[in-house]
Amino acid sequence: MAHLRYVAVLLFIALCGLGVNLFFKVQITRLWRAFLLTDICIVASYLLWDYWAIVKGNWYFDQQQILTIHLLPKVPLEEILFFIIVPFTTIITFQTLLKLTGWEKSRK
Amino acid sequence: MIYSDIALDAILVAVLIDLFLLKTEMLTRGIFWISYALILPFQLLTNWWLTSRNIVMYSAADIIGRRVAGAPMEDLLFGFSMILMTLALWDYFKKFTSR
Repeated sequence: MAHLRYVAVLLFIALCGLGVNLFFKVQITRLWRAFLLTDICIVASYLLWDYWAIVKGNWYFDQQQILTIHLLPKVPLEEILFFIIVPFTTIITFQTLLKLTGWEKSRK
Repeated sequence: MIYSDIALDAILVAVLIDLFLLKTEMLTRGIFWISYALILPFQLLTNWWLTSRNIVMYSAADIIGRRVAGAPMEDLLFGFSMILMTLALWDYFKKFTSR
């Protein structure tokens, strides 16, 4: 079970985002194209930084607490999921606030 | 370069992209700062979980050494830059794809 500790954190962040999306009926799926484009840019920049930092040894992971699945050499699968799930929940937060506050109606 | 330098550069890049390249001007909008204020406690919580259990560890030579909620303070710079970059890109692509 220890191997699931990192991925459990990501699951928690994803569930927070999905829960808010459903509860406030944000309907983020309608905007999947914009999410895809945004996340491609985030992964292309921040995952590259992450990869570089891992190779240089800026940070490292306890092999007992990760899934030890590597799609990229040295980069745990969790790190790739991080750069998909965290932007997803960030965007849900922003969209929910736009909806609840009604601010910036003219901007949209 | 150590983590501290790169994290500062990441903020600079995100600010330049937001204000001058995409002109999304997130930094001038209240909705951005409220979003950040909501996300920050969750970043601190997950940072604390990941670092207090040594799931993620940092090379002492690459950080200043000051820690916030268990994680290097550089993580807050990294987090801010990624949230700003994400929302600037999002705002830009949302308009771009709805045309």
